[in-house]
Amino acid sequence: MRRWMSGALLSVVFTMAAMPAQAAWKSYINKELGFSFMAPGEVKTDAGTFRGAVAGPRQTIIYRSAEDNIEYKVTVMSFVQAQAEGATILGEREYMFQDGKKLLMDTFARVESGKDTVYGRKIVVDLPDKKGRATGAFYFTKGKLFTFEATVLPAHGDFASPDPGRFVDSIVFVLSRAEPGAIELKTPQLE
Amino acid sequence: MRLTALATLAGALAAATTPAMAAWHGYISHPLGFGFAAPGEIKVEKGTYRGEVAGSHDTLVFRFDDDNIEYKVVVIDMTAQANNAATLLGEAEYTFQDGKKVLMDTFGRLDRQYGRKLTIDLPNNGGRTTAGFYFINGRIISLQATVLPANGDYDSPEMARFVDSITFFTVRAPDDAIELPAPPK
Repeated sequence: MRRWMSGALLSVVFTMAAMPAQAAWKSYINKELGFSFMAPGEVKTDAGTFRGAVAGPRQTIIYRSAEDNIEYKVTVMSFVQAQAEGATILGEREYMFQDGKKLLMDTFARVESGKDTVYGRKIVVDLPDKKGRATGAFYFTKGKLFTFEATVLPAHGDFASPDPGRFVDSIVFVLSRAEPGAIELKTPQLE
Repeated sequence: MRLTALATLAGALAAATTPAMAAWHGYISHPLGFGFAAPGEIKVEKGTYRGEVAGSHDTLVFRFDDDNIEYKVVVIDMTAQANNAATLLGEAEYTFQDGKKVLMDTFGRLDRQYGRKLTIDLPNNGGRTTAGFYFINGRIISLQATVLPANGDYDSPEMARFVDSITFFTVRAPDDAIELPAPPK
């Protein structure tokens, strides 16, 4: 009996050791930019650039993490002087995300409720050359364009992983709804 | 000779039984900044639009009816809330299809504007509507063409012809485009 139990225990230990380590999901918040989200792994802050025919050239604020061969990325761009063109700027960003790729899903996305509702879209595409599957969620609110992207890399293997959905669905714009104890993200200074 | 007369008679009968198709005209509104094409006689109406985020708004509707297809251009002035353009447009699109069978939901792109085009089946076999939605100059502009059951041809190309006729560059409107009447007081 004892030998049988030891064997079973050993088997569980081996199985766990063979599984990739799953980092805990943590909540993050940026009060200055007005949003919160959840992601696994260590979130790093970066700056980048974006260019759209309508949006023009923009500097971007990026928060990214990677875990178990899934890349998670939040991109924030400011369009304070072009808020009235937010619908077209958002549409252009969504269009660029799926342009030239195999579109698997393109549907309405809604965050918050009632008068606080923010409407956007959720899109899933297969990347060219079998480079993985990307899920994106796109919102334009209070003069900022928010993009949430989770890319399952081929090394992960499970393109139907629920983690990209968990990531893009974790967005919060009404900060009173953010998880208590969410980690405060810094806003990098752009030029 | 008799054969020719019979053929002529048959042609005349067929033409008489085919519903009269009105000619398409170009229309333009310089104050509103758009143009489009539609068949039939124009009617100008007022309506209301309500959304949880948008609140209640008067609408200006340019309406045409031809061959049991209803064509509507709906203009909703949201200038005071234009900074929330993306969500206001999203709400209008969402409301349009909510609870209905969606047949198409895709990007609408023209004249540097991004919007959406949707096709839905109306409840209770009420027909099929194709619509385009755009937010420009503080206004939602929506073109909606509904094939009624009396028409029956739900694959009619007229819906797309109407929705795709929109232009926001007035230079693209035909030279003989008719200026849209001012909204009723």
